[in-house]
Amino acid sequence: MQGALTPPILSGPSQSAVSNQGLMPTASQASNIAPQPSKTFSSSGPLAAKTKPTPVRRMRRIIAEDPEWSLAIVPLLTELCIQHIVKNFQKNPILKQLLPEHQKKVLSHLSPDLPLAVTANLIEDENYWRRCCTQRWPVCHVAKHGGSWKHMFFERHLENLLKHFIPGTTDPSVILDLLPLCANYVRRIRVDQFLPPVQLPASLQTRELSDSGSEVESEEPTMDHYQLGDLVAGLKHLEELDLVYGVKDCGMNFEWNLFLFTYRDCHSLAATIKACHTLKIFRLTRSKVDDEKARILIRSLLNHPGLEELDLSHNLIGDRGARAAAKLLSHSHLRVLNLANNQVRGPGAQSLAHALAHNTNLVSLNLRLNCLEDEGGQALAHALQTNKCLTTLNLGGNELSEPTATLLAQVLAINTTLTSLNLSCNHIGLDGGKQLLEGMSENKTLLEFDLRLSDISQESEYLIGQALHANREAARQRALNPGYLMSPIIANVPGNSVE
Amino acid sequence: MNPSGSMGVLEQTEEERLSTPNLEPSVYSDNPQERIQARRLRIAARLEARRREALGEYIDGKKESEEDQSKSYKQKEESRLKLSKLLLCGTELVTNIQVAADIREIHRRVEEEEIKRQRIEKLENEVKNSQDKFDEITTKWEEGKQKHIPQDLWEILNTQQLHCAGLIEDKNKLINELQQELKVKDDQYVKDLKKQSDDICLLLERMEEQVKDIMKSFRQELSHIEKAFELERQELLTSNKKKWERALQNHNSKELEYLINRIKKVEDYEKQLNKQRIWDCEEYNMIKIKLEQDVQILEQQLQQMKATYQLNQEKLEYNFQVLKKRDEESTVIKSQQKRKINRLHDVLNNLRSKYAKQVKQFQEENHSLTSEYKRLVLQFKELQRAMRHFAIIDDEKFREIWLMNEEEAKGLIDRAFDVDRIIHIQHLGLPWTAPDFWFLKNVGPISQQQQKTATQIVEEVLKQADEEGLEEGASESSYLDLPKQISAKTTRKILMLLCDESGFLIESKLLSLLLPLEKNECYLLRLDAIFSALGIESEDDLYKLVKFFLEYRAHHLSASQISPWTQANLERSSLMEKSLMSEWDLEQEQEAESLLEGEEESSVGGEQEEEEAPPSPKLIHPNEVLKVLEAFVMGLRKPRNFRAPVRMTKSKRDNSKDSEYWKALATVIPSSTQNLWDALYTALEKYHLVLTQRAKLLTENNSLEQQNSELQLLLQQYLHSKINSELQIPPTHVFRVPTK
Repeated sequence: MQGALTPPILSGPSQSAVSNQGLMPTASQASNIAPQPSKTFSSSGPLAAKTKPTPVRRMRRIIAEDPEWSLAIVPLLTELCIQHIVKNFQKNPILKQLLPEHQKKVLSHLSPDLPLAVTANLIEDENYWRRCCTQRWPVCHVAKHGGSWKHMFFERHLENLLKHFIPGTTDPSVILDLLPLCANYVRRIRVDQFLPPVQLPASLQTRELSDSGSEVESEEPTMDHYQLGDLVAGLKHLEELDLVYGVKDCGMNFEWNLFLFTYRDCHSLAATIKACHTLKIFRLTRSKVDDEKARILIRSLLNHPGLEELDLSHNLIGDRGARAAAKLLSHSHLRVLNLANNQVRGPGAQSLAHALAHNTNLVSLNLRLNCLEDEGGQALAHALQTNKCLTTLNLGGNELSEPTATLLAQVLAINTTLTSLNLSCNHIGLDGGKQLLEGMSENKTLLEFDLRLSDISQESEYLIGQALHANREAARQRALNPGYLMSPIIANVPGNSVE
Repeated sequence: MNPSGSMGVLEQTEEERLSTPNLEPSVYSDNPQERIQARRLRIAARLEARRREALGEYIDGKKESEEDQSKSYKQKEESRLKLSKLLLCGTELVTNIQVAADIREIHRRVEEEEIKRQRIEKLENEVKNSQDKFDEITTKWEEGKQKHIPQDLWEILNTQQLHCAGLIEDKNKLINELQQELKVKDDQYVKDLKKQSDDICLLLERMEEQVKDIMKSFRQELSHIEKAFELERQELLTSNKKKWERALQNHNSKELEYLINRIKKVEDYEKQLNKQRIWDCEEYNMIKIKLEQDVQILEQQLQQMKATYQLNQEKLEYNFQVLKKRDEESTVIKSQQKRKINRLHDVLNNLRSKYAKQVKQFQEENHSLTSEYKRLVLQFKELQRAMRHFAIIDDEKFREIWLMNEEEAKGLIDRAFDVDRIIHIQHLGLPWTAPDFWFLKNVGPISQQQQKTATQIVEEVLKQADEEGLEEGASESSYLDLPKQISAKTTRKILMLLCDESGFLIESKLLSLLLPLEKNECYLLRLDAIFSALGIESEDDLYKLVKFFLEYRAHHLSASQISPWTQANLERSSLMEKSLMSEWDLEQEQEAESLLEGEEESSVGGEQEEEEAPPSPKLIHPNEVLKVLEAFVMGLRKPRNFRAPVRMTKSKRDNSKDSEYWKALATVIPSSTQNLWDALYTALEKYHLVLTQRAKLLTENNSLEQQNSELQLLLQQYLHSKINSELQIPPTHVFRVPTK
């Protein structure tokens, strides 16, 4: 390293000395600064050391007369070394051997475009990865990636690759090569599009023209998406998997088969999530998951050691899928279950209610935009009478009416764990509203109760609102008193606003 | 509160929702439902606000009971409530869109279902109809097959074609209808998309508005709170300022007091300081003078020291020089000495040879001399015997002469006393007392007065001990000359011990004689024998023995030291012993003789008693008595050597005493009486003269008378002549005669 560095440095002063020799032939002074470089040079070789001293002196004399010259121009050897290291980092990455301050300097000068193969496992410095991130993406929410820029970089990088992976045309090694580099840093994969394999461009055009043709094509097994199995198996710390089998921004190129979640996809995904024991959150939304596929997926998740949240919202799951989910409830540690915007009806809700009645893990259940109707609503209300764990329940847009409301009112009077209840967009009616108000008057724990657009009288809605406010204040006092903290003005209020 | 997050969520939810054609979801406008909702919300908000106010008051009241609440706290609480309400309302407002979309979706789903059902019904009907028609056509085909006439066949075929065309037309119609519907749906979808984007726009707008509002209200509330705090601070400041001013005034007044006090104190201190300064100055001067003097003295001393130093240096230098020279000299001398040594060695060798010769010579001489010496000793012994003999004779002679002279002297003294008495009584008329002098009673030579012998003392001791035995606790003061530290008892004990232990010194003959004697006497004799054997003769020796015993006891532990001493003594005295042996033997013989005499004297009788005198362990162990005795004898021998000359001196001393004695005898009449006598003599002479004169006269006067009575007188005188011869000149006769 030193050998490589010294020649350019040597040439600098000697040239200047030569050029100055003619002007100032006499040299008298010997300064403190002059010997220093000569000493450093001496390490390069005895010849150089012998020739050095006199030119250095002369040079120094000239410098004194040159008003523009300053020592600052001559960078320190360390500085030069660092520059060199930075320049050649790709070929010869030296970082760990340096002193901490030099490491810092090197890192601050490294280009973010360096190949990941070099940087991934070598550089831990957050600032470097921050530069990498901000260079690639204008908006960065580092908080969503566990507060680590490096994690964020690798997660987003991987997501990017997955989003633009086209099976059949893109080389799968692109992703698998990255695997050893990012395995330690990826905790979350959030992919909102999977591209289908591309047919010949000609056929694509023809398909665009004829809708029927595309439908026929969709039956073919070639429509499978990227198989996540290998990737997920390599990620040791993966905790969250958020997938959407669909295409974004297709615009006028819309085709049905762009949004196809095939059985092969489903089976491979099921095997993948089964093998991934670190997984905590699994989301598969907007992917046309029907009963069969849901059952395949959920069967693979039975007795999963770590799973806490399952989100299958905006799919086509019916009663059988709901029954499978109910089974999952009793065979896992699931805390959050989201089946919003599916096709769950009464029987499905009944099976869910049956599982819920004795469950002690589930905290949040979302059944928004389903067709539970009174049959399912009543079953759920019965389940809530025995359940001691659920805190959040969303039953918005489920065609519920008065009978459910009466039962729920009874539940409200008994239950002490439920904090948030959503019954918006139902046909509860005036009597149901009154009954709910009665139940609410005895409840002290519910903090949120959404009854918008549910045909109840304004009066009861207002009174329920009052009761809720009282509950909120009480909750706030409870939260404050143990710690004796002076009131932070926005205690729980912003949290309540969601949904 | 996090606008981005909620926005994202909403976006997502809105986006994917398949929207249905519905009313505008704006709060302030067209959609009556929305408007109703908005109004409801507003009312609810107002009521809420009112309720909250009450609640806030309630809370405030509660708080006030806890602590006297300040304005700022009130403001804070108020703001908090206001803001939470605002937030709640805002979020409700924002989520209203979602809810509206939801309900629209539900409505759409219901409608869709209905339409779907109708469509299915319609399709089923269509299928039935077309099936009927198709069946008709197929039956017609059978009919057509039976036709053999081409025209008929053609007819049937035509009708068939017509039917088929009808069927196809129906189907096509249906398809067209469905396609129409599809197109409508497409349009609907596009509209929905638009609607959705509008919704999202609205949502964004609302969110932004909400954010803005909330920001604004937060700022406002913040400013309110700040104001409240400011006000409170001002109040606090003013009150504190007042307090402060009061305190300051107090402080100032106190300060003033302190200042005055301080000034006074300062003045006092200044005075004191001045005094102190003056005093210090004086002291300083004094000390300075003293120190200067000291310095001078020291300098002088220094000078002196320097001088002496120089002197010493010079001296030392001189000495050094001298020593150098001496050294040189000494080297010279050394060489000389060496030479001398060499010479002297030669001489020494010569001398050695000479010496050897001499030794031989002297040995021979010595032999001859020793033989001569032995002869001389024999001679000397004989001489001594003769001398002793003569001495005894001399003594006797001396005694006789002494007695004779003494008698003569005493006769003279008696006469002198008589004369004195006569003078006193007759002439002076004074009473006379005969002077009592010691020497007058003395008979014999003084030197004969001898010391008590050891035996005598022992006797005394034993007697006394007997007496003490009789009367216990009798005073020991009577014990004469024994040294004070030695009591009679101890002496006695020692002697007893001695007696018991050293029986071997007594001859067996004597022992047999002693057997019948009394206890005390027996002891006495035994001791006598022992003493004689040991050579203890005088009182002093005895005391020495006793002392020696006591000392020995004192040095009891160091007995081992004594023994070497005694040995040394032995060795030392061995030579002398030889020489003195003869004399020693003689004395012993003498003592033995005396012992024999004593023995004879004391063998009057008495019975021997068993001696069981308990040897006092305190005193001395019987076993050691012999050692002690040995040591004592060794020690005693030395002084014994000089015994003979000592005796000689003693006899000489007697002579001096003798002269004194004689002088005393001579001066028995004191000089005063002699003077008196002289005076008397002169007076009497004068008186005699007168008397003689008178006598002459009287003789003259009485010549006749004398002559007359001469014959008578002569006769008488002859009668009295014997007495006259005895008394030469008795004056009384003189006086008597005239009276007669």
